[in-house]
Amino acid sequence: MKYTLKYSFSLLLLVASFLGNAQEVKVKDSIKPKTERYGLRVGVDLFKLTRSFYEKDYRGIELVGDFKLTRKHYIAAEIGTENKTVDDDRLNFTTKGTYLKAGFDFNGYENWLGMNNMLYVGMRYGFSSFSQTLNSYTIYNPNPYFGQAPEIQSGEKFNGLTAQWVEVLAGAKAEMFKNFYVGMSVRLNYLVSNKKPDGFDNLYIPGFNRTYDGKFGVGINYTVSYFVPIFKSEVKPKEGKKK
Amino acid sequence: MKKIFLLLFVFSLLGCEKDDICDENTPTTPRLIIEFYDFNASTETLKNVSNLGIVAPPLTEGLGFSAVNKIQVPLKTNAESTTFSFIQNGTDTDLTNDNEDVLEFNYTTREVYVSRACGFKTLFTLKQTNPIVNAEPFSSPSSWIKNIVIIKPNLENENEVHVKIFF
Repeated sequence: MKYTLKYSFSLLLLVASFLGNAQEVKVKDSIKPKTERYGLRVGVDLFKLTRSFYEKDYRGIELVGDFKLTRKHYIAAEIGTENKTVDDDRLNFTTKGTYLKAGFDFNGYENWLGMNNMLYVGMRYGFSSFSQTLNSYTIYNPNPYFGQAPEIQSGEKFNGLTAQWVEVLAGAKAEMFKNFYVGMSVRLNYLVSNKKPDGFDNLYIPGFNRTYDGKFGVGINYTVSYFVPIFKSEVKPKEGKKK
Repeated sequence: MKKIFLLLFVFSLLGCEKDDICDENTPTTPRLIIEFYDFNASTETLKNVSNLGIVAPPLTEGLGFSAVNKIQVPLKTNAESTTFSFIQNGTDTDLTNDNEDVLEFNYTTREVYVSRACGFKTLFTLKQTNPIVNAEPFSSPSSWIKNIVIIKPNLENENEVHVKIFF
Protein backbone atom coordinates (compact mmCIF):
# COMPACT_ATOMS: atom_id res chain seq x y z
CA MET A 1 0.00 0.00 0.00
CA LYS A 2 2.85 2.29 0.90
CA TYR A 3 4.41 1.66 -2.43
CA THR A 4 1.14 2.23 -4.10
CA LEU A 5 0.64 5.49 -2.30
CA LYS A 6 4.06 6.71 -3.22
CA TYR A 7 3.47 5.75 -6.77
CA SER A 8 0.13 7.40 -6.73
CA PHE A 9 1.47 10.55 -5.22
CA SER A 10 4.17 11.02 -7.80
CA LEU A 11 1.61 10.45 -10.44
CA LEU A 12 -0.70 12.86 -8.76
CA LEU A 13 1.58 15.82 -9.49
CA LEU A 14 1.93 14.69 -13.03
CA VAL A 15 -1.71 14.13 -13.58
CA ALA A 16 -3.27 16.83 -11.47
CA SER A 17 -2.71 19.47 -14.11
CA PHE A 18 -4.87 17.83 -16.70
CA LEU A 19 -7.03 15.41 -14.78
CA GLY A 20 -9.86 17.86 -14.40
CA ASN A 21 -10.37 18.59 -18.03
CA ALA A 22 -8.90 15.47 -19.54
CA GLN A 23 -12.31 14.08 -20.24
CA GLU A 24 -13.42 16.87 -22.46
CA VAL A 25 -10.25 17.91 -24.17
CA LYS A 26 -9.50 15.52 -26.93
CA VAL A 27 -5.94 15.52 -28.07
CA LYS A 28 -3.28 17.92 -27.04
CA ASP A 29 0.28 17.40 -28.01
CA SER A 30 1.61 18.76 -24.77
CA ILE A 31 -0.15 16.13 -22.69
CA LYS A 32 1.34 12.75 -22.28
CA PRO A 33 -1.20 10.03 -22.91
CA LYS A 34 -2.62 7.90 -20.14
CA THR A 35 -2.18 4.22 -20.28
CA GLU A 36 -4.56 1.73 -18.83
CA ARG A 37 -3.35 -1.70 -17.94
CA TYR A 38 -5.59 -4.52 -18.95
CA GLY A 39 -5.32 -8.07 -17.79
CA LEU A 40 -6.68 -10.97 -15.95
CA ARG A 41 -6.92 -10.91 -12.20
CA VAL A 42 -7.10 -14.35 -10.63
CA GLY A 43 -7.40 -15.23 -6.99
CA VAL A 44 -8.81 -17.39 -4.30
CA ASP A 45 -11.46 -16.88 -1.66
CA LEU A 46 -9.81 -16.94 1.77
CA PHE A 47 -13.12 -17.11 3.59
CA LYS A 48 -13.99 -20.53 2.24
CA LEU A 49 -10.42 -21.69 2.53
CA THR A 50 -10.04 -20.80 6.20
CA ARG A 51 -13.52 -22.04 7.00
CA SER A 52 -12.44 -25.42 5.73
CA PHE A 53 -9.85 -25.50 8.49
CA TYR A 54 -11.84 -24.33 11.47
CA GLU A 55 -15.23 -25.78 10.59
CA LYS A 56 -15.33 -29.53 10.86
CA ASP A 57 -18.37 -29.96 8.65
CA TYR A 58 -17.25 -27.72 5.82
CA ARG A 59 -14.89 -28.08 2.89
CA GLY A 60 -14.86 -25.48 0.20
CA ILE A 61 -12.71 -23.60 -2.22
CA GLU A 62 -13.50 -20.81 -4.63
CA LEU A 63 -11.37 -19.37 -7.38
CA VAL A 64 -12.17 -15.89 -8.59
CA GLY A 65 -11.24 -14.01 -11.69
CA ASP A 66 -12.02 -10.79 -13.43
CA PHE A 67 -11.00 -9.21 -16.65
CA LYS A 68 -11.05 -5.54 -17.38
CA LEU A 69 -13.10 -4.73 -20.43
CA THR A 70 -13.25 -0.98 -20.19
CA ARG A 71 -12.16 1.49 -17.56
CA LYS A 72 -15.26 0.77 -15.57
CA HIS A 73 -16.47 -2.60 -16.70
CA TYR A 74 -15.07 -5.95 -15.81
CA ILE A 75 -16.29 -9.38 -16.63
CA ALA A 76 -15.98 -11.53 -13.57
CA ALA A 77 -16.49 -15.12 -12.55
CA GLU A 78 -16.18 -17.43 -9.60
CA ILE A 79 -15.87 -21.16 -9.70
CA GLY A 80 -15.94 -23.27 -6.61
CA THR A 81 -16.77 -26.46 -4.86
CA GLU A 82 -18.39 -27.01 -1.49
CA ASN A 83 -19.03 -29.94 0.78
CA LYS A 84 -21.13 -29.03 3.76
CA THR A 85 -22.85 -31.07 6.42
CA VAL A 86 -25.70 -29.41 8.24
CA ASP A 87 -26.67 -30.81 11.60
CA ASP A 88 -30.09 -29.49 12.53
CA ASP A 89 -32.47 -30.46 15.28
CA ARG A 90 -34.43 -32.76 13.03
CA LEU A 91 -32.21 -33.28 10.03
CA ASN A 92 -28.63 -34.05 9.27
CA PHE A 93 -27.60 -33.85 5.64
CA THR A 94 -24.55 -33.34 3.47
CA THR A 95 -24.53 -31.21 0.35
CA LYS A 96 -21.74 -31.68 -2.15
CA GLY A 97 -21.25 -29.93 -5.44
CA THR A 98 -19.63 -27.40 -7.69
CA TYR A 99 -20.77 -24.06 -8.96
CA LEU A 100 -19.96 -21.40 -11.47
CA LYS A 101 -20.92 -17.76 -11.30
CA ALA A 102 -20.37 -15.41 -14.19
CA GLY A 103 -21.25 -11.80 -14.70
CA PHE A 104 -19.81 -8.34 -14.58
CA ASP A 105 -18.58 -5.77 -12.14
CA PHE A 106 -19.04 -2.06 -12.48
CA ASN A 107 -16.24 -0.09 -10.91
CA GLY A 108 -17.28 3.13 -9.25
CA TYR A 109 -13.83 4.05 -8.07
CA GLU A 110 -11.74 6.62 -9.94
CA ASN A 111 -8.31 5.14 -10.19
CA TRP A 112 -5.09 6.86 -10.79
CA LEU A 113 -3.34 5.85 -13.94
CA GLY A 114 -2.50 2.24 -14.31
CA MET A 115 -4.20 1.15 -11.13
CA ASN A 116 -7.00 -1.29 -10.87
CA ASN A 117 -8.45 -0.69 -7.46
CA MET A 118 -12.15 -1.21 -7.30
CA LEU A 119 -15.15 -0.17 -5.36
CA TYR A 120 -17.78 -1.95 -7.28
CA VAL A 121 -21.21 -3.38 -7.69
CA GLY A 122 -21.90 -6.31 -9.89
CA MET A 123 -24.19 -9.05 -10.98
CA ARG A 124 -23.70 -12.76 -11.49
CA TYR A 125 -25.62 -15.63 -12.87
CA GLY A 126 -24.94 -18.68 -10.78
CA PHE A 127 -25.27 -22.32 -11.63
CA SER A 128 -24.70 -25.20 -9.27
CA SER A 129 -24.70 -28.93 -9.73
CA PHE A 130 -24.77 -30.98 -6.57
CA SER A 131 -26.02 -33.91 -4.56
CA GLN A 132 -27.72 -34.16 -1.20
CA THR A 133 -27.23 -36.98 1.23
CA LEU A 134 -29.77 -37.34 3.97
CA ASN A 135 -27.76 -38.74 6.86
CA SER A 136 -30.41 -38.92 9.55
CA TYR A 137 -33.75 -37.46 10.52
CA THR A 138 -36.40 -37.54 13.18
CA ILE A 139 -40.13 -37.97 12.83
CA TYR A 140 -42.11 -35.01 14.03
CA ASN A 141 -44.96 -36.22 16.16
CA PRO A 142 -47.02 -33.57 17.90
CA ASN A 143 -48.83 -36.25 19.94
CA PRO A 144 -46.09 -38.40 21.35
CA TYR A 145 -48.22 -40.83 23.30
CA PHE A 146 -45.62 -43.52 22.74
CA GLY A 147 -42.75 -41.12 23.31
CA GLN A 148 -40.64 -39.57 20.60
CA ALA A 149 -39.33 -42.10 18.13
CA PRO A 150 -35.55 -42.34 17.94
CA GLU A 151 -33.57 -40.65 15.20
CA ILE A 152 -33.61 -42.60 11.97
CA GLN A 153 -30.38 -43.24 10.10
CA SER A 154 -30.89 -42.92 6.39
CA GLY A 155 -27.90 -42.28 4.15
CA GLU A 156 -30.16 -41.81 1.15
CA LYS A 157 -28.40 -39.90 -1.61
CA PHE A 158 -30.09 -37.62 -4.10
CA ASN A 159 -27.98 -37.05 -7.20
CA GLY A 160 -28.24 -34.84 -10.24
CA LEU A 161 -29.63 -31.76 -8.55
CA THR A 162 -29.20 -28.31 -10.01
CA ALA A 163 -30.00 -24.75 -9.13
CA GLN A 164 -29.62 -21.41 -10.81
CA TRP A 165 -29.72 -17.99 -9.32
CA VAL A 166 -29.03 -14.33 -9.81
CA GLU A 167 -26.66 -12.56 -7.54
CA VAL A 168 -26.10 -8.88 -6.85
CA LEU A 169 -22.98 -7.91 -5.05
CA ALA A 170 -20.97 -5.03 -3.76
CA GLY A 171 -17.33 -5.08 -2.90
CA ALA A 172 -13.90 -3.58 -2.96
CA LYS A 173 -10.50 -4.57 -4.24
CA ALA A 174 -7.30 -2.80 -3.35
CA GLU A 175 -3.75 -3.29 -4.53
CA MET A 176 -1.58 -4.17 -1.54
CA PHE A 177 1.65 -4.90 -3.35
CA LYS A 178 2.52 -4.64 -6.98
CA ASN A 179 -0.17 -6.63 -8.77
CA PHE A 180 -1.42 -8.23 -5.55
CA TYR A 181 -4.93 -7.38 -4.57
CA VAL A 182 -7.06 -8.08 -1.57
CA GLY A 183 -10.79 -7.82 -1.86
CA MET A 184 -14.05 -8.53 -0.26
CA SER A 185 -17.58 -8.69 -1.46
CA VAL A 186 -21.02 -9.28 -0.05
CA ARG A 187 -23.67 -10.92 -2.11
CA LEU A 188 -27.38 -11.32 -2.20
CA ASN A 189 -28.68 -14.31 -4.13
CA TYR A 190 -32.09 -14.95 -5.55
CA LEU A 191 -33.00 -18.42 -6.72
CA VAL A 192 -34.30 -18.66 -10.26
CA SER A 193 -34.60 -22.39 -10.55
CA ASN A 194 -34.13 -25.18 -8.10
CA LYS A 195 -34.42 -28.83 -8.96
CA LYS A 196 -35.39 -30.41 -5.69
CA PRO A 197 -34.96 -34.06 -4.88
CA ASP A 198 -38.01 -36.25 -4.68
CA GLY A 199 -38.77 -36.63 -1.00
CA PHE A 200 -36.33 -34.11 0.33
CA ASP A 201 -35.30 -30.50 -0.16
CA ASN A 202 -32.32 -28.41 -1.16
CA LEU A 203 -31.70 -26.69 2.13
CA TYR A 204 -28.18 -25.83 1.14
CA ILE A 205 -26.91 -25.17 -2.36
CA PRO A 206 -23.19 -24.93 -3.10
CA GLY A 207 -22.35 -21.35 -4.05
CA PHE A 208 -25.79 -20.13 -3.07
CA ASN A 209 -25.70 -20.92 0.64
CA ARG A 210 -28.67 -22.03 2.70
CA THR A 211 -32.10 -21.63 1.22
CA TYR A 212 -34.24 -21.53 4.33
CA ASP A 213 -33.65 -18.11 5.87
CA GLY A 214 -36.00 -16.03 3.84
CA LYS A 215 -36.17 -15.66 0.11
CA PHE A 216 -32.58 -14.58 -0.39
CA GLY A 217 -29.32 -16.34 0.01
CA VAL A 218 -26.38 -14.40 1.30
CA GLY A 219 -22.72 -14.75 0.62
CA ILE A 220 -19.44 -13.15 1.42
CA ASN A 221 -15.92 -13.62 0.20
CA TYR A 222 -12.47 -12.33 1.02
CA THR A 223 -10.09 -12.71 -1.82
CA VAL A 224 -6.43 -12.39 -2.60
CA SER A 225 -5.69 -12.13 -6.27
CA TYR A 226 -2.88 -11.55 -8.62
CA PHE A 227 -3.19 -9.26 -11.57
CA VAL A 228 -1.65 -10.61 -14.75
CA PRO A 229 -1.14 -7.68 -17.05
CA ILE A 230 -1.86 -8.66 -20.60
CA PHE A 231 -1.75 -5.43 -22.50
CA LYS A 232 -1.69 -1.70 -22.04
CA SER A 233 -3.77 0.70 -23.92
CA GLU A 234 -3.49 4.40 -24.16
CA VAL A 235 -6.48 6.33 -23.15
CA LYS A 236 -5.48 9.08 -25.57
CA PRO A 237 -4.01 7.64 -28.68
CA LYS A 238 -0.67 9.40 -29.30
CA GLU A 239 3.01 8.79 -28.96
CA GLY A 240 4.84 8.18 -25.75
CA LYS A 241 4.73 5.66 -23.02
CA LYS A 242 4.71 6.58 -19.42
CA LYS A 243 6.05 4.78 -16.48
CA MET B 1 -19.41 5.12 -1.65
CA LYS B 2 -22.23 5.89 0.74
CA LYS B 3 -24.53 3.77 -1.34
CA ILE B 4 -22.20 0.83 -1.02
CA PHE B 5 -22.08 1.11 2.73
CA LEU B 6 -25.82 1.34 2.83
CA LEU B 7 -25.96 -1.79 0.78
CA LEU B 8 -23.56 -3.52 3.17
CA PHE B 9 -25.81 -2.54 6.04
CA VAL B 10 -28.87 -3.96 4.34
CA PHE B 11 -26.99 -7.18 3.69
CA SER B 12 -26.08 -7.55 7.34
CA LEU B 13 -29.72 -7.18 8.36
CA LEU B 14 -30.74 -9.95 6.00
CA GLY B 15 -28.46 -12.32 7.82
CA CYS B 16 -30.81 -12.48 10.81
CA GLU B 17 -32.03 -15.93 11.76
CA LYS B 18 -35.63 -16.93 11.51
CA ASP B 19 -36.87 -19.21 14.22
CA ASP B 20 -36.73 -22.91 13.57
CA ILE B 21 -39.87 -23.97 15.38
CA CYS B 22 -42.23 -26.30 13.59
CA ASP B 23 -45.52 -24.45 13.14
CA GLU B 24 -48.25 -26.39 14.87
CA ASN B 25 -50.60 -25.75 11.95
CA THR B 26 -48.30 -27.68 9.68
CA PRO B 27 -49.77 -31.12 9.02
CA THR B 28 -47.29 -33.57 10.48
CA THR B 29 -47.73 -37.12 11.73
CA PRO B 30 -51.51 -37.65 11.81
CA ARG B 31 -53.53 -39.55 14.37
CA LEU B 32 -56.24 -41.99 13.42
CA ILE B 33 -59.54 -40.14 13.45
CA ILE B 34 -62.48 -42.24 14.61
CA GLU B 35 -66.09 -41.15 14.56
CA PHE B 36 -68.72 -42.90 16.66
CA TYR B 37 -72.17 -43.76 15.34
CA ASP B 38 -75.31 -45.22 16.80
CA PHE B 39 -75.50 -48.90 15.84
CA ASN B 40 -79.25 -49.05 16.36
CA ALA B 41 -80.22 -46.09 14.27
CA SER B 42 -81.61 -46.82 10.84
CA THR B 43 -79.65 -43.98 9.30
CA GLU B 44 -76.11 -43.04 10.22
CA THR B 45 -76.36 -40.99 13.37
CA LEU B 46 -73.42 -39.66 15.30
CA LYS B 47 -73.40 -40.77 18.90
CA ASN B 48 -71.33 -39.37 21.70
CA VAL B 49 -69.11 -41.62 23.73
CA SER B 50 -69.17 -41.06 27.45
CA ASN B 51 -66.10 -41.51 29.55
CA LEU B 52 -64.27 -43.47 26.90
CA GLY B 53 -60.75 -44.32 27.95
CA ILE B 54 -58.22 -45.72 25.54
CA VAL B 55 -54.93 -47.16 26.63
CA ALA B 56 -52.19 -49.05 24.82
CA PRO B 57 -50.78 -51.77 27.04
CA PRO B 58 -48.20 -51.99 28.52
CA LEU B 59 -48.67 -48.26 29.04
CA THR B 60 -50.96 -47.53 31.96
CA GLU B 61 -51.59 -43.87 31.25
CA GLY B 62 -54.40 -43.57 28.76
CA LEU B 63 -56.32 -40.95 26.87
CA GLY B 64 -59.82 -39.96 27.93
CA PHE B 65 -62.70 -38.73 25.82
CA SER B 66 -66.08 -37.67 27.01
CA ALA B 67 -69.18 -36.26 25.32
CA VAL B 68 -67.57 -36.29 21.89
CA ASN B 69 -68.31 -38.33 18.80
CA LYS B 70 -64.85 -37.98 17.31
CA ILE B 71 -61.60 -39.14 18.84
CA GLN B 72 -57.96 -39.08 17.80
CA VAL B 73 -55.88 -42.19 18.27
CA PRO B 74 -52.08 -41.94 18.07
CA LEU B 75 -50.32 -44.78 16.28
CA LYS B 76 -46.79 -46.01 16.79
CA THR B 77 -44.55 -44.52 14.11
CA ASN B 78 -41.85 -47.16 14.45
CA ALA B 79 -44.08 -50.24 14.29
CA GLU B 80 -46.73 -51.65 11.96
CA SER B 81 -49.21 -52.50 14.63
CA THR B 82 -50.69 -50.66 17.58
CA THR B 83 -53.08 -52.18 20.09
CA PHE B 84 -55.47 -50.06 22.12
CA SER B 85 -57.96 -51.04 24.76
CA PHE B 86 -61.17 -49.10 24.24
CA ILE B 87 -62.72 -48.96 27.67
CA GLN B 88 -66.32 -47.81 27.84
CA ASN B 89 -66.89 -45.88 31.06
CA GLY B 90 -63.18 -46.21 31.61
CA THR B 91 -62.52 -42.69 32.72
CA ASP B 92 -65.03 -42.58 35.55
CA THR B 93 -64.19 -43.77 39.04
CA ASP B 94 -66.55 -46.73 38.94
CA LEU B 95 -64.61 -49.80 37.82
CA THR B 96 -67.59 -52.17 37.78
CA ASN B 97 -69.19 -50.62 34.69
CA ASP B 98 -65.99 -50.79 32.62
CA ASN B 99 -66.31 -52.63 29.35
CA GLU B 100 -63.03 -53.24 27.57
CA ASP B 101 -62.69 -53.99 23.88
CA VAL B 102 -59.21 -54.54 22.51
CA LEU B 103 -58.56 -53.27 19.00
CA GLU B 104 -55.45 -53.99 17.03
CA PHE B 105 -54.59 -51.58 14.23
CA ASN B 106 -52.42 -52.96 11.43
CA TYR B 107 -50.87 -50.59 8.99
CA THR B 108 -47.84 -49.73 6.95
CA THR B 109 -45.87 -46.56 7.42
CA ARG B 110 -43.96 -44.24 5.18
CA GLU B 111 -41.87 -41.26 6.06
CA VAL B 112 -42.40 -38.01 4.22
CA TYR B 113 -40.28 -34.91 4.33
CA VAL B 114 -42.10 -31.87 5.69
CA SER B 115 -39.65 -29.05 6.24
CA ARG B 116 -36.42 -28.20 7.90
CA ALA B 117 -38.17 -27.14 11.11
CA CYS B 118 -40.54 -30.10 11.24
CA GLY B 119 -38.27 -32.78 9.83
CA PHE B 120 -40.21 -35.77 8.58
CA LYS B 121 -43.68 -37.05 9.29
CA THR B 122 -45.01 -40.57 9.28
CA LEU B 123 -48.05 -41.37 7.18
CA PHE B 124 -50.00 -44.55 7.77
CA THR B 125 -51.95 -46.85 5.50
CA LEU B 126 -54.27 -49.33 7.10
CA LYS B 127 -53.57 -52.80 5.74
CA GLN B 128 -56.06 -54.35 3.34
CA THR B 129 -56.29 -57.55 5.31
CA ASN B 130 -57.17 -57.23 8.96
CA PRO B 131 -56.77 -53.48 9.19
CA ILE B 132 -58.52 -53.41 12.55
CA VAL B 133 -58.93 -56.57 14.59
CA ASN B 134 -61.36 -56.77 17.46
CA ALA B 135 -60.15 -59.29 20.05
CA GLU B 136 -63.69 -60.58 20.47
CA PRO B 137 -66.35 -60.91 17.78
CA PHE B 138 -68.72 -57.99 17.32
CA SER B 139 -71.60 -60.35 17.96
CA SER B 140 -70.34 -61.18 21.41
CA PRO B 141 -72.51 -59.55 24.05
CA SER B 142 -69.43 -58.42 25.93
CA SER B 143 -68.26 -56.39 22.95
CA TRP B 144 -69.68 -52.90 23.19
CA ILE B 145 -68.32 -52.10 19.72
CA LYS B 146 -70.75 -53.54 17.21
CA ASN B 147 -69.17 -52.68 13.92
CA ILE B 148 -66.16 -50.93 12.42
CA VAL B 149 -66.08 -49.39 8.95
CA ILE B 150 -62.96 -48.03 7.36
CA ILE B 151 -63.68 -44.88 5.43
CA LYS B 152 -60.19 -43.87 4.44
CA PRO B 153 -57.31 -46.30 4.85
CA ASN B 154 -54.70 -43.63 3.98
CA LEU B 155 -54.00 -41.50 7.00
CA GLU B 156 -52.59 -38.31 5.60
CA ASN B 157 -54.00 -35.63 7.85
CA GLU B 158 -56.39 -35.15 10.72
CA ASN B 159 -59.00 -33.20 8.78
CA GLU B 160 -60.82 -36.29 7.60
CA VAL B 161 -62.42 -39.24 9.30
CA HIS B 162 -60.62 -42.51 8.76
CA VAL B 163 -62.75 -44.99 10.66
CA LYS B 164 -66.35 -45.20 11.83
CA ILE B 165 -67.20 -47.21 14.92
CA PHE B 166 -70.81 -48.23 15.55
CA PHE B 167 -71.97 -48.99 19.06
